[in-house]
Formats: sequence, C-alpha cells, structure tokens
Amino acid sequence: MKKHIDPVQNHAFSEPHELIHIDCASHVYPDGSIGIHDLCFRVKENEIVALCGANGSGKSTLLEHLNGLLLPSKGNIYVMGEKIDSTTKKDLWKHVGIVFQKSDDQLFAPTVLDDVMFGPLNLGMNRGEAWNAAMEALRAVGAEKFINKIPNYLSGGQKRLVSIAGILAMKPKIIALDEPTSDLDPKHAEIIENIICELKENHGISIVLATHDLDLAARIADRICIVKGGSVIAEGRPSDIFYNVDLLEDAGLKEPKIVQVYEALCEFKKIEIKRKPVTVEELVKSL
Amino acid sequence: MSNSQASGHIPDLDLITYYSENSYSFLSRASPWIKLIGLIAIILILTIVKSVEVLVALYALLFLLYWQIGLPIRKLFDWCLLPVLFVLSLVILLMWNETGVPLFSLKIFWVSLTLTDNGLLLVVRLLLKALISMTSSLLFLMTTKYAYLSVMIYRIFPFPIDQIFLMSYRFLFITLDMVDSMIRAFKSRGGGLIKSVVRQSQTFAEIFALVFIRSYDQAERVNKAMESRGYDGTYTTSTEVPQMRPIDYIVLLVFLVVIIYLLLFHNSSISR
Repeated sequence: MKKHIDPVQNHAFSEPHELIHIDCASHVYPDGSIGIHDLCFRVKENEIVALCGANGSGKSTLLEHLNGLLLPSKGNIYVMGEKIDSTTKKDLWKHVGIVFQKSDDQLFAPTVLDDVMFGPLNLGMNRGEAWNAAMEALRAVGAEKFINKIPNYLSGGQKRLVSIAGILAMKPKIIALDEPTSDLDPKHAEIIENIICELKENHGISIVLATHDLDLAARIADRICIVKGGSVIAEGRPSDIFYNVDLLEDAGLKEPKIVQVYEALCEFKKIEIKRKPVTVEELVKSL
Repeated sequence: MSNSQASGHIPDLDLITYYSENSYSFLSRASPWIKLIGLIAIILILTIVKSVEVLVALYALLFLLYWQIGLPIRKLFDWCLLPVLFVLSLVILLMWNETGVPLFSLKIFWVSLTLTDNGLLLVVRLLLKALISMTSSLLFLMTTKYAYLSVMIYRIFPFPIDQIFLMSYRFLFITLDMVDSMIRAFKSRGGGLIKSVVRQSQTFAEIFALVFIRSYDQAERVNKAMESRGYDGTYTTSTEVPQMRPIDYIVLLVFLVVIIYLLLFHNSSISR
C-alpha cells in the first residue's frame, strides 16, 4: 500500500506549480461500495500523468474527482492551493475538463459547433467569444470541417476529436481523458496521441489519462500511477514502473510491448537489463 | 447513417435526417420559417376544409412536390401503412353511422349495417387528411436541417419544453441505434421468426425493459458529461436560422390568400 500523506501537512509543503491535489481517504458510493480510498494524487503544471489499472480499478472514479463531479466522502481536493468543498466545487470544471470514454455521452447538441460552444457559453463568454474559442479548439484538433455536422454522422474517431475540442474550447488548465484511444482504429488513435502531446507542448495543458493501454502510456506519459482496488499503489517514471513485472501483474496489467521485446532480447543475449527503454526510439538507442 | 431499422413502416429518423442534411432542392434552400408557416397553413386547411376535391388536389400537389425534389417515394408508401391502418381502425365503426344515400347494406346476425355515400366520403376524407398531414410533415422535416429545427424549437417553445425537445432529438438517435443493435443481435440468434406469439411478446417486453434501463443509464451519463462542462439547467443553441427573403414573403402571401379563400367559401361550395 502506498503511504498515505497527511493532507494538511502535504498541502502546506505543496510545490508552487502543483495544479491539483487530491487526498482522498475514501469515496463511498450511495450503494455502499467504495470507489477509491487511501489515495493521494497530484497533477503538476505541464505534465502528462497516466492512471494505469485494470477494469474497475477506480481510474474513472478518480477522474471524476478531478472535475468535481464527485467529492471525497473523507478527504480533500485542492486546486491551485484552494480547498474545494461542496460550495466551491461548482467552479472546478472551469479548471479541469473531462473527455469521457464514450463520445456519445458527451456530444448531445444538434451540431458540432453547438456542442463545442456549449462549454464556453457556460463559462460566461458571449456568442462571438464562444464562437472564436470553439473554432480555435476545432482547428487545434483538425475538426473544423465538421462544424455544421450532426454528431450522428461522425465516425468514432471524429467524435473523439470533437469531444476533445469541446473541452479544449474552455481553455482548462488540466484535461482528463478517460480511455482516449479505446475503440479507435490505429490511425485515429495516433491522431489522438499526437493531439495529447500537442496540448501539453503548445497549449501548456496538463493531461491526466486513464488507460490500460500501457504502450500508449509508455510513449507519452511523464509519470505513471498504477491504480488497483481504488487506490494508487505505485507511481513513478515509466521506465521504473514498466520494468516492475510483479507490480504490473499485481495490478492486472502486462508490460508494454517494447519492454517485453527488450526483456526478451536481454534474456536471449544473456545481458543485464540496464537502460530500461519504454519507447521505440529508446529501444533503438539501447540496441 | 444507419442502414437498418426496426420496421420499414415506421418513419426512420435516421433517413429523415439524412435527407434534411444532404438535400439541395429549392425547398431545402427555402427559409425554414416559411416552411414552418406552410406546414401550419396546411394543418389549418385540413381543419377547415371538408371538400374531397380540395383534399385530393392538396395531396396531389404535396405528392408531386415530394417526388420532384427527389425524396424517396417508395419509402413514403411504406410509411403510409401505419397512418392508413390507424384511420381505418377509427372509421371502421363511424362510417356506418353517416346519413345519406345508401350504397349497400350488411346484416350480421340481428344487426343491420348500411354504408351511405357520406360514410364512404368520411373514410376517404379522413384517409386523405392523415396522408396530407404525414406527407407535409415529412416534407418539412426532410428538407430542414436539424440545426435550424433546433433553433426554431428554442424560439417557439417555452422553457423547459424547448430544453426537452433540444436534447431528446439526439438522444432518440442513440436510443434507436441501441434498439436496432439489440434487435439485430436478437435476430442473429434466430429470434424474429414467429414460433410462439407468447414467446415473441415476452422477448419484445424484455427488449423494451432493457432499452428503458439502458436509456436511463445513458441519460445519467449525458447529464454527468454536461455538468462537467458547467451545465446549470439551461441550454441555448448557437446556430443562426436564415432570414426570410422577398420570395418567402410572396409565398407567405399566397398561403394567406389560399387560407382566406378557403375560409370564405368554407360554409358554402367547398364544404360538403
């Protein structure tokens, strides 16, 4: 079990560039089941954090805490140093946007433009500002050609792009994506992956992604958090986490392909695992 | 566009929307407002006119228009089946009570039924009215983009009815897709063949219950996604509906003249 950090103490010494800090002793659903517990999770400026865990491990519940859709039953959420409670949680969505796993849950408006403008209008922008924000976001994800389309006539990949644009238009500091590449063909998965990297590089947005695609996490994440049974059981750099076979097995995960190949090569050549590559480029360098 | 549906006789929302989004006929380019006024005018005409000749002429005109702008005629015939059955189920009892020139009589046990010319006219009149309502509504829906339709709903209906309409349309698509995939899965395992009416009814009741539960879940997820973007109970559309052009005002004038003409002659020659 990962060591539980005292929220007040931790908050007092939190780093200045920490955007969000969740210290959740527990979140209990109305039916009595425990969603997450004994969990400390932080998101810093300009980083990509991957929450990796098996199905039902609590990744999505944790994401909903980031946006204020859920609050800890016991524990606290701090956004840029400010403590969030039931009265202030209504503003959390302005800082943290969530891209849901099923785009059909998110796209409800008659047209793509209407849907992307929905968030900015709720932020209090006038129609002109909202239109500009929506167009800027749609251009950033390459979906500006769909503005007048009904979401029904978009493919799964296009719907995902529009969902991201809907969040990006609100200019949040953090974007949380729930299984962003699940159900997508390889081409669209690559497009989404590139967009996630661009959001961090060009827009300075911190990204939290919940995924069990460890290959994706290995390629783009700066930090990996392994989630199991509603708690973060380990966190660290991809190279440290993904070479811990026991840890991954315990969490119901499997090493990324690159790690499997490198380990097989090392075993074949009877050499010690040293460099721990997690991406193709790193593997090539190692060889 | 999905290529299958539960029944070929139920107007397919997907197909209707496909035409509304991809049709480039003159009617598609006309102002949505004038089309709506046209639809209201037709409904007004239906309520005041009893003349079978006028109704036949109106239906012929609508049918020609439907055919001329390239909408699917065969589908229209398929979709007619349900309204026709509905009207027939209503008039099957009423048509025997009309006074007039007897056409033929029927004696079932001790009950004697007589069909008069007015009874027959009642059937024809109601059938025509049903077909006109359906064809004109389809013409409106199949030539008006949903984005425009949503703005019109937003402007016309009061809160919260406008909100319900705005959100239910997209939700209908998702629910229909869900029903469609469930029925296909049902058929793929040999369902759909009439082996036992009781078993068939049970299966469809189960599908209906599942759709209800899943729709509720879906609604919860959509609401959650909306709340995560700051939804506070009010949703406004952002699309602009094209303004009426001079030609639209001329069409509007024609509608007015026709209605006034029919109103004036309603109590004399046109009404029978």
